[in-house]
Amino acid sequence: MQRYQQGDAGAFRELYALVAPRLLGYLMKMAKSRAIAEDLLQQTFLKIHRARGAYVCGADPLPWIYSIAHRTFIDEARRTKRAIVRAGEAVPDVPAGLDGMAADQRDEPRGDPELVRAALDALAELPAQQREAVILTKLDGKTVAEAAEIAGTTVGAMKVRAHRGYEALRRLLAPARKAAS
Amino acid sequence: MSDPVDRLAAEPPPLAPPLSAALEQELARFAPVSPRRPLRQLAIVIAISLVYGAGLVAALTMRRDMRELPIAFVFGAGIGWLLGFAVPSYLALVPRAGAVVPRPAWALTSALVASVVFVALGLLVHPSGPSSTALGAEHFTRGHWCLEIGLASAFVPVLIGALFLRGALPVGSRSVAAALGAGGGSLGGLVLHLHCHIADALHVGLVHGGVVVIAALLSAALVPRAT
Repeated sequence: MQRYQQGDAGAFRELYALVAPRLLGYLMKMAKSRAIAEDLLQQTFLKIHRARGAYVCGADPLPWIYSIAHRTFIDEARRTKRAIVRAGEAVPDVPAGLDGMAADQRDEPRGDPELVRAALDALAELPAQQREAVILTKLDGKTVAEAAEIAGTTVGAMKVRAHRGYEALRRLLAPARKAAS
Repeated sequence: MSDPVDRLAAEPPPLAPPLSAALEQELARFAPVSPRRPLRQLAIVIAISLVYGAGLVAALTMRRDMRELPIAFVFGAGIGWLLGFAVPSYLALVPRAGAVVPRPAWALTSALVASVVFVALGLLVHPSGPSSTALGAEHFTRGHWCLEIGLASAFVPVLIGALFLRGALPVGSRSVAAALGAGGGSLGGLVLHLHCHIADALHVGLVHGGVVVIAALLSAALVPRAT
């Protein structure tokens, strides 16, 4: 990050190569569409680039980068929701365009396809906050404190969201677990 | 590993697309920037704000009943207002070690505590001397001038703080802005403590203390748009 702030464009490319795949994974699970996630990824890095002067020397840049991705996703979701309201359509729980993508638009899982698909489908049914809590703490391996920092909430609130998310996932995935065992 | 969520967690991350044209354009005119130094920024905010506050007090004159008030009250309240300025400003500008984003939850708590404490203390503790004035409930609205002075005092620390925080607040911007506003409002309270000779409970509590509340609310509403 320091080399990047000093004007080394190569350092930015290194940062992108290092962080972009993980960030894209996070955004794909949040937005549930690769095309939207890729657009959000580019927007996120554009914001990072424009705000690079806000980075504090010696700090861990990952939570800050994830926070920018989180904010970019929320802004996009709100924009989509407003557009739907203006068009006079019913407002879904999660805005259309960020939700309910057809199966053929999703990335094909590389592991056990059925189990991974079941997990993705169950994850897609969670409310956005619970989904994010599960993605950050369970799938991306962040601590509850890191996840709270990324989402701009308290550790207690993040624990509650993650717990509710796990409980909902457990209920939704019970048939898939039974089938797998 | 038969758990579907564990399976999903074990999936390798997807391949990222190449940089977009917009990013490539930005990189083409890439210029070095200096990193944010939160403690230095805090020192600048405090120094400029105190000089500005002192200038305001000098321009408005010191309160005429200053010598008649208990010395412990004059210094105690002064230190209280100073802490009310410095602590929320610190929490708004300085992140914990190793972090980029300031602590929104702590910042919001400091803004709430400062708002409640200064209104309550103003209502409860407001000694007066022979030269003090009391407006009471009947003429309460005549004290609006103090609200204007207080908010004018709050403007400078909030403005400088907002400039320093541009781009640094992807999340929690309202909470951090509220703390900046509460800090600025407390500076306004300090200016009023040294200038205003109106010493009744309603005026000191609701106007001098109210400056903290209103500055915090205004800042929370306006600053996130600028950062």
